[in-house]
Amino acid sequence: MARVVLKNVTKKFGRVTAVDRLSLEVKDGEFVVLLGPSGCGKTTTLRLIAGLEKPDEGEIWIGDKLVNDVDPAKRDVAMVFQSYALYPHMTVYGNIEFPLRMAGVPKEERRKKVLEVAKLLGIDELLDRKPSQLSGGQQQRVALARALVRNPKVFLMDEPLSNLDAKLRVKMRFELKKLQRKLGITTIYVTHDQVEAMTMADRIAVMNKGRLQQYGTPEEIFFKPANVFVAGFVGSPPMNFVRGRIERREDSIYFVSEYFSLRLLSVYSELLGREVIMGFRPQHVGVSPAAREGFVEGRVLGLEKLGIETYAHLYYGDLEIVVKIPETIRVKGDTIYWRPKEDKVYFFDPRSEKLIKVGVRG
Amino acid sequence: MKIRRVVWIAFIYFVLIVFALIYLMPFIRSIVASFMTWEQASRYPPEWIPNPLTFDNYVKLMRLKLFGRWIINSALYAGIIVAGNVLFTSMAGFAFARLRFVGRDALFSALQALMMIPGFVTLVPNYIIIYSLGLVDNILGLAILGIVNVSSIFLMRQYFLSLPEEVFEAARLDGCGPIKMFFYIAFPLAKPAVGAVAVYQFLGAWNAFLGPLIFLRSPENFTLPVGLSFAFQRAMWVEYTPLIAGSLVASLPTIVMFVVLNKYLIRGIAITGGKG
Repeated sequence: MARVVLKNVTKKFGRVTAVDRLSLEVKDGEFVVLLGPSGCGKTTTLRLIAGLEKPDEGEIWIGDKLVNDVDPAKRDVAMVFQSYALYPHMTVYGNIEFPLRMAGVPKEERRKKVLEVAKLLGIDELLDRKPSQLSGGQQQRVALARALVRNPKVFLMDEPLSNLDAKLRVKMRFELKKLQRKLGITTIYVTHDQVEAMTMADRIAVMNKGRLQQYGTPEEIFFKPANVFVAGFVGSPPMNFVRGRIERREDSIYFVSEYFSLRLLSVYSELLGREVIMGFRPQHVGVSPAAREGFVEGRVLGLEKLGIETYAHLYYGDLEIVVKIPETIRVKGDTIYWRPKEDKVYFFDPRSEKLIKVGVRG
Repeated sequence: MKIRRVVWIAFIYFVLIVFALIYLMPFIRSIVASFMTWEQASRYPPEWIPNPLTFDNYVKLMRLKLFGRWIINSALYAGIIVAGNVLFTSMAGFAFARLRFVGRDALFSALQALMMIPGFVTLVPNYIIIYSLGLVDNILGLAILGIVNVSSIFLMRQYFLSLPEEVFEAARLDGCGPIKMFFYIAFPLAKPAVGAVAVYQFLGAWNAFLGPLIFLRSPENFTLPVGLSFAFQRAMWVEYTPLIAGSLVASLPTIVMFVVLNKYLIRGIAITGGKG
């Protein structure tokens, strides 16, 4: 077990900067998820820690050791690949035993350890099978067993659940998290699935275009997104963003955009005169079927029925606003009225796209 | 609609059968001729039924003192070539496909360029090398020349490229250096490609004529194809019918091999046609 520290790590492939001056600290025994869209550099970061890629700049520390020039085999890290990367010509037993065999562990001890870890993961009945005779979920467990068997300092996982069907994925999420807690191994987990990140992580590092956008607990990421990217990436359906201005009209403060204006609480007076991007989640909206004071009229473009939840897509020319329709309201006709909940509104700077103010309770 | 389809398929089969017959003709002719007297076999227009039916040609073949020896020589030659190619070209192919080292791609391009050079061009320099090694008239000297083959390297490389990279990366993290990775992971996974290389090289070596003809001198060192061509050469003419019988016997192992292993041959073609 060990902590992992990245200091100003940069990795370029030709002209493309895959990882850009990334600094990150993963504490001993912590479960950290690298989250981001494809091509954001999260997998490259993982490969840098594994030693499969060499950084162009910066330092990578595992435990108390600078590992920039240490061979992957000697870093004492284990990795689970997205495709599992099992050795197709070996049995399950052979696969799990392989890292121990390479490390020169005596045969009897190898046997003991393989059986132990196979039992832990519930695959002790499959030891004589070849990977091709296993289901996706079973292959996944074998890959985990192979990584666990030599008791690594750091556990690296590259989208390990993305090849499983939805039901199994949910199940494995909890099992993985349980296992990690039980064993207390420092784990770095790469995914583009925000639900996976939110449910499993102690801390989430959100990345985009090779840069770290925000590093914090799932709650911080969700409720205090550092910038427009994080706010838009985490949450489903994505957060609504509207560009506009904070202005004073008569005695009140208004958010004025080219699509609509919205009366705000007076606490936002510090933003007076500023250009802002207002953001609010579809779930954090009050909806009324009839016109009401302070509500914005919206023309319904379509309803997205997801069983328990229904979302309405509202049309404002080149802007589309998505709002959640409460169960108690039945949408008749094609007009509804809505306003974001004041305490769940975010204001971002339009130039830097950084968060400048979080909503307050009125 | 249905009738048109049937007619179309019939037409396709007709064309295929005609071409198959054209290709089979020399082979059938050889089988028939091996049971004929030379007098009948050389008649024009050609006759297709042996009359009288004679086994004389095969008897003559069996009477050759060195016939067994040539078979052994051919087997030895083919064996060395196959073993050498399987081992060395799989290693080279693995290195070109999966290891990172300075000059790798330049070196591979240089090797590929070698494939463009016709074999005749290198015949004389090769002869000089083998001569100065004192290995002329020696199966070993001849075999050294074919122990590594560029097209085999190419085939192996393509095959290794087609395997998922993650398997090799997993092996790296599990503690494999390049050598362990080759023997524990790459080679066992490369069976189909290794099979294809083995079959191709065996066929090439078993049927080789020009090389053995030039590098081997004494009759007891000849391979089967060269031995046969000399055995029935008379002062003024060639005794063709026993030669034909000999060729048929000689091609027997290759035919058997093709029937048994033709899926490997086809896979070999599929591999080379794959990813660049």
